[in-house]
Amino acid sequence: MISQIGSLALSIASGLILSTFFFLFYYRFTKNKIFIDLSERAIIATCLSIILSTICLLNELLISNFNLQYVAQYTSYETPMFFKVTSLWAGQAGSLLFWSFIMSIYSLIYILFTLKRIKELKYASYLILAFIFGFFLALSNFIANPFEPVSLDIIVQNGNGLNPLLQNVTMAIHPPILYLGFVGTSIIFVMTLSALIANEINHKWISSIRLWALIIWTFLSAGIILGGYWAYNELGWGGYWAWDPVENSSLMPWLMLTAFIHSSIIQEKRGMLKTWNVLLASSTYLFVILGTFITRSGIISSVHSFTAESLGPLFFTFLLSLTLLTGFWFFKRYHLLRSRDKIESFTSREGGFLYNNLILLIMCFIILWGTLFPIISEAWDGNKIYIGASYFNQLNVPIGIVLLFLMGIGPLLSWKNTSSSTLISNFSIPMILSFISGLLYMIFTDEFQIYPFITSMGIVFTLTSIMGELKKSFKSSYNNNDSLLKALLQLLSKNRHKNGGYIVHIGITLLFVGFVGRAFEVEKEFVLSPGEEIYFANHIFKLNNVRSEARDNHYAFISDMDVVDENNKYLTTLYPEKRIYFYWNPDPEKRQPHSELDIYSTMSKDIYSIFSSYDAQKNEAYFKIMINPLVNWVWIGGIVIIFGALFAFWPSSRRDYGTI
Amino acid sequence: MNKIYTSLILVFALAVLWTIYLTNIKEDKNITTRYYTIKELILEDQSLPNVKVGGLIKPNSININESNRLEVWFYVYQGQDSLKVYYNGTRPDLFKDDAEVVVAGTFDNNLIVATELQTKCASRYEGDLKNTNTI
Repeated sequence: MISQIGSLALSIASGLILSTFFFLFYYRFTKNKIFIDLSERAIIATCLSIILSTICLLNELLISNFNLQYVAQYTSYETPMFFKVTSLWAGQAGSLLFWSFIMSIYSLIYILFTLKRIKELKYASYLILAFIFGFFLALSNFIANPFEPVSLDIIVQNGNGLNPLLQNVTMAIHPPILYLGFVGTSIIFVMTLSALIANEINHKWISSIRLWALIIWTFLSAGIILGGYWAYNELGWGGYWAWDPVENSSLMPWLMLTAFIHSSIIQEKRGMLKTWNVLLASSTYLFVILGTFITRSGIISSVHSFTAESLGPLFFTFLLSLTLLTGFWFFKRYHLLRSRDKIESFTSREGGFLYNNLILLIMCFIILWGTLFPIISEAWDGNKIYIGASYFNQLNVPIGIVLLFLMGIGPLLSWKNTSSSTLISNFSIPMILSFISGLLYMIFTDEFQIYPFITSMGIVFTLTSIMGELKKSFKSSYNNNDSLLKALLQLLSKNRHKNGGYIVHIGITLLFVGFVGRAFEVEKEFVLSPGEEIYFANHIFKLNNVRSEARDNHYAFISDMDVVDENNKYLTTLYPEKRIYFYWNPDPEKRQPHSELDIYSTMSKDIYSIFSSYDAQKNEAYFKIMINPLVNWVWIGGIVIIFGALFAFWPSSRRDYGTI
Repeated sequence: MNKIYTSLILVFALAVLWTIYLTNIKEDKNITTRYYTIKELILEDQSLPNVKVGGLIKPNSININESNRLEVWFYVYQGQDSLKVYYNGTRPDLFKDDAEVVVAGTFDNNLIVATELQTKCASRYEGDLKNTNTI
């Protein structure tokens, strides 16, 4: 019954979208405002229908209605309640509905808040929203319907259950947060294209879209970092980023959005770069759709597999039509957007933002080229060529280092032009400290590597520069008799947008601390019997024993390994496990081995242990150990970034900054 | 066109050229790996230093060295064609019969010596309903 309601709600939503087109069509010819109101209501009703439909699917997942193919495929009676909820986005059909669900929530906020203030955008916004909703609803209704019943000749007693790798809290929250970022870019797109059509790329638009962009950027960043965190802690290859096409697909929109957030400051302050901002804002969504096309078409082989129904051609057509639409209106409005003002000085704040945009754009191009290269090369001469991680690192590492320095240089530049005397006085302290850190690096490391050397200088340079800026604004507000704490709070809340930005920059600098560690990673694979030990990278690993244990949903071999450091000091005992899920299944194909890692984590390094294989007859255990320096700084940087971003846009009593 | 925009465009163009140089002109095996079908490799009589192949693991073909369990031989197949692969290292958890794998390494004498072995990650777990719990 509930599933019929859900299915019906999905059909009704499509009908409502169709009616929106009719209303907008009538408005176009009659100019009667009532049709705008009608289409507004139709879209609101569409959103509510989609939300209802999602709630129905969630209900079916929770009550384990295995008459639905989707429910039977991704859950079983044994699936814990929490993961029954998360299976809503575990498969193709569910994740598409979930996509529309998030889009509905965003659209409601957009219609009820943003469009209430910027009424000029209504007509075009509804048109574009209806187009996007129409596409996703068509997919959910006709191609990947989550309410599809199982075929009549099968009676399902119990569902398949969710993959154990996905039964992990980080993995449960990573997709919805990333989706909040991805889907959010559609609002940025709608807002940009509609403002372009209505010729309303003005101050009202920029101040509102900037806030949207910041919120969506925060979700996108959090989603990407959580994905890396999950990969590092669950997948067992010891890294958090592999330049896989699916990962790249999430990074490209992030880079574009980051560029937009910076260049839009110039428009806000000086009314310049309108054309550029329009391009950046709209391309963010186009990159999201491109990424969806890459991941759901199977056109590029990725370790993240998305098989089943191929939605590739559909997403490609969708992407193409959105691109053409944007391109058409961009050229039509181009002459109206041009600004007579020019950025003249290389050493100005504006210049700094432009360099930032340049760097982010180059990175985005490199990633795009590398990701699409198998397609490009196959189209070129029939040879499908894959690009290795080394390509991305060779290019992005030096460019990333430039970006790191730029984060420190930017705040030291003044608007319009920076005089050479200001330049010298602003740069001297960060430069001196940076050189000192370079010297210290040379003294304290055994092997010299150029990138870590420059990066550590960059980290110190940027941190000192940002701290100096924070101190400056602190001094200017701390001249009365306030307590230090109160003055500090005042400073932070006074210019939240700017200070939040600085906090984000500190977070990104901390990420770089973690990235430096990658240059010093070492790993070793070895075999030990209980009682044996091995020396590796200044540590002794001693296997005490391997025991086995039958647990609720798996069978585990648990190793017990002492780690002793170079000073013969006991560090920790690691317990990496080899687990077998579904071990009771008579069909060995259905059993699934899983290596549960154990990581000894400190601020200076992680000792990462994997129990690769176990020979029970000989009592020999195979391990892979990695020493990964400074990884924790990546997660700390991530937390600081999110904190800073939340701080920047969190509503304050004082309206020093735009509203949604 | 003023100076600053011109320099920005110039730098971008240089970056594009450098990228194209790395992928299309410089032959660095850490950067570019050609993807072959198994059929192409079977017909190949030369040895190739740098190949990438995808396919499924042939059922019952996994052969683990008893004295070093990190060493494994198996066959990877696409339709009717299959090819022997050797790999020495920690295998991914999803490595089993009929799992989808991507291997990269050297090809010589109808054997791939893989330096890289990846199974498809389980970010989407599409179960096959027909095989389970049916009456």
